[in-house]
Amino acid sequence: MKRFFLIRGAELAALIALVAVPLFVSNPFALGLLTLLAIYGILLIGLDVTVGYLGQVNLGQAAFLGIGAYTAGLLVAHAGAGILLALAAAFVVCLVLGALLALPALRLEGPQFALATLSFGALAVTVLNEWEDLTQGAQGLSLARPALFGQTLDAAGFYWLCVGLLALVWLGMKNLLSSQWGRAFEALRDSPIATDAMGVGAYRHKVIAFAFGSALGGLAGGLYAFDFKYLQPHSFTYELMVILLLGVVLGGRKSLWGAVVGAAFIVLLPNLLSSATLFRVFSIIGLIIALLGVIGGWKDKTALRFQSLAPVVAMALLVAGSFVVEHTEDWRKAIFALMLFSVVVGLPEGLMGFASKLLTRIFRLPAAPLPAASPLDAVLPRQQAEATTLLDLRGLKRYFGGIKAVDGVDMVVKAGTVHGLIGPNGSGKSTAVNVISGLYAPSGGQLLLDGAPLPVGSLYRVAGAGVARTFQNLQLFGELSALDNVMVALRDTYRLPWPLVLLGFARGEEKRAQAAALALLQLVGLDQQARTRARDLTYGAQRFLEIARALARKPRLLILDEPAAGLAHPDALQLVDIIRRIHGRGIAIVLIEHHMDVVSALCDAVTVLDGGQVIAEGSAEEIKRHPRVVEAYLGAAA
Amino acid sequence: MGLVYALVAYGFQLTFATSKSINFGQGELVMLSAFCSLTLLGLGVPYWLMVPLGLLIGALLGLVVERAAVRLALEQKSEGWILLTIILGLFGFSLAENIWGRDDRPFPTPIPSDPFSIFGVDITWLEVSVAVGVFGIMGLIELFKRQTLLGKAFDAVAADRDAAELMGISATRTVMLSYALSGAVAALAGILISPITTVGPTMASVLILKAFSVAVVAGLNSGFGVVLVGLALGALENYASLQLGSGWREAPGLALLITALALRPNGIFGKATIRKV
Repeated sequence: MKRFFLIRGAELAALIALVAVPLFVSNPFALGLLTLLAIYGILLIGLDVTVGYLGQVNLGQAAFLGIGAYTAGLLVAHAGAGILLALAAAFVVCLVLGALLALPALRLEGPQFALATLSFGALAVTVLNEWEDLTQGAQGLSLARPALFGQTLDAAGFYWLCVGLLALVWLGMKNLLSSQWGRAFEALRDSPIATDAMGVGAYRHKVIAFAFGSALGGLAGGLYAFDFKYLQPHSFTYELMVILLLGVVLGGRKSLWGAVVGAAFIVLLPNLLSSATLFRVFSIIGLIIALLGVIGGWKDKTALRFQSLAPVVAMALLVAGSFVVEHTEDWRKAIFALMLFSVVVGLPEGLMGFASKLLTRIFRLPAAPLPAASPLDAVLPRQQAEATTLLDLRGLKRYFGGIKAVDGVDMVVKAGTVHGLIGPNGSGKSTAVNVISGLYAPSGGQLLLDGAPLPVGSLYRVAGAGVARTFQNLQLFGELSALDNVMVALRDTYRLPWPLVLLGFARGEEKRAQAAALALLQLVGLDQQARTRARDLTYGAQRFLEIARALARKPRLLILDEPAAGLAHPDALQLVDIIRRIHGRGIAIVLIEHHMDVVSALCDAVTVLDGGQVIAEGSAEEIKRHPRVVEAYLGAAA
Repeated sequence: MGLVYALVAYGFQLTFATSKSINFGQGELVMLSAFCSLTLLGLGVPYWLMVPLGLLIGALLGLVVERAAVRLALEQKSEGWILLTIILGLFGFSLAENIWGRDDRPFPTPIPSDPFSIFGVDITWLEVSVAVGVFGIMGLIELFKRQTLLGKAFDAVAADRDAAELMGISATRTVMLSYALSGAVAALAGILISPITTVGPTMASVLILKAFSVAVVAGLNSGFGVVLVGLALGALENYASLQLGSGWREAPGLALLITALALRPNGIFGKATIRKV
């Protein structure tokens, strides 16, 4: 309860303070700044979706601000639209354009994505500038602020509208990000492959996230148009984009508070630069903070040298500059650059990231309590083990150029059995599994699951068909907690359509999901570490967590790719125990393994591969004595 | 023009080859080196001595970028370098604006600019000098990469940074070298193009987008591809400005970039990588 009151209380207090300002302050300048704060707040919350949650550098948000502004402005100037209609249109236009840009751009990662958004931004400004019949080009577009329900809005009224929209966006984002959607966004940042393999659909979520973020940019653009009442294409160029990034990074990524703090900074910046004395004071404060960082780093002996020294150098330059340079306005870009540099290097989590850590420590906020685990039977219903054929591979082939990694493999896995797949290194086991799970498309052959063809070449669709897998090289969602890792993958749990999620109706669903995920963590013995971040778990625990996550798919067939690799002996024993328990639920398992003791302890049947072909089949005992298997592992007898 | 795009794009390829990172401030690097060279000329340094000095300045600036913006991010295996190189570029832009002013300036050159005609096509010695310079430096660097042990180290670091370190190659030094080379290439691009376009702070942003387009459309690992795509883009732009008006000059290139990225994320001449788990 303490947690609830502190967090909600702070939000409510901030909102009340913002709403009450016009009642006490009549200074139009201050009110103008606060209006801008609300507008940029919405814009940065939208930008944070891609920069923070998807972890991609997005250089297109300034363009969406511009497109939204022009959409709303033109609708008002030419069609006489009302304020709400114009804002809704700005939102929708940017949603559609964002989706159109995201469809190609989000197949890309990192620098290529940044480039694509950068080009989009440049293209948008060119179009706004050159389409003079519509936008009046570089001359600019003047418009009057339309009425809301027949009421003309004065400065205070418009301010309340902006704050109200900011509050709505805040609430909606909070609901969305604390639901399965937010988890999926973060999961696909950490491992897109695993996100697909867990049936979440990395690409689809990315596109939706980007489009939604862009739409918020459009909404902010509409408000921007009505705030300034004059639009020029050149307000929305590269420089604005860099400032927006500064806001998000400085405020703190993945944080609504961070977005608003960043917005406040952006709004105050020009005023900061207009007075030389003020600027000097602030740059000296910046230098002191950077120096404190160095001293703190020395005390802990943890920080990297460059990371603490570089901000000091940058800030010292800023201080020196503030005394030498007369017209700070001319050096605006250099000043932004120095500040942004110090923050990115020295304080990568941003102000709010730092503050939230500090506040959690001061108030000793307990984590929100977890519900009791649901009974395992409800989460993972016992499947009837009939001795029918579940997975049937016929002549499976996969070539890489001239290399025949898998060359005509026939294999039958019976329902409810543990089927071992062994072979020396390079024999094609992992490739076979990657083809079955859909990472690679087969070069030839048939795959049947329960007699029906299995989708090929798509992790996502194979996952949908009821096949779940773990990865030889762990593909956990490192930044998510163990519990969240399992919750992301839960199948048939999240049914609520997204509009209701935005409105905050997902809480009940969340509780049920938590309870189900806890049951699976219990199965692998990790329920005590549910809140631990996945990357902070021990190596063995990470392996077990991958199994629990795969089980959340409620699979008919579970593929374990070398689960015992690198495990210490006690962990390996526990692994055998876990696999027995899963087997007990009637789930068929394909086990790729090197440890023969694990294989003989568990497997009902074993297939041995060498050179991409099946060299032996049978029970574990038969295999051990099979002459070709002995030859493959130990070399031919001289 | 197309060849200069190709040269700047080649600068991206050099650093991408070793570190999978590119300098988003490369355009500013071109511009700063051009301004420095201009100042050298103004101080009375003869043109032919200015060229190597200019290249040296470019290389030094490249090293600054590597140290300040790229190394930390690479050590943390993060993509922070995107943001940091953008920031550094912005800083360089502001510096140039304030030191040399916002106006475009002419760049004197001893190479004559009167046209002569071969096979009925008018070209100028300036344009010839661009072609010679571009092919010359690209040829030299390719030779260096293919024939010397240090050049092989580029490939080794690109393939597996950690393994290269274990084999006694300093990955950090190799990356530094690639950034220095990339800086020198940027400087040459600046010196070659400035007599044609004049020097000004805004030349950076115009150039960089096109070079990006060229590098990405061609693929970030194909030296041959950038030349072809660079020429094609140069031609496309001239065509667009004739047909649609000069304001639209850049639009087709940008649209081409987004489409090319969508269809072939690894570039037309790039090699597709196989996803591994």
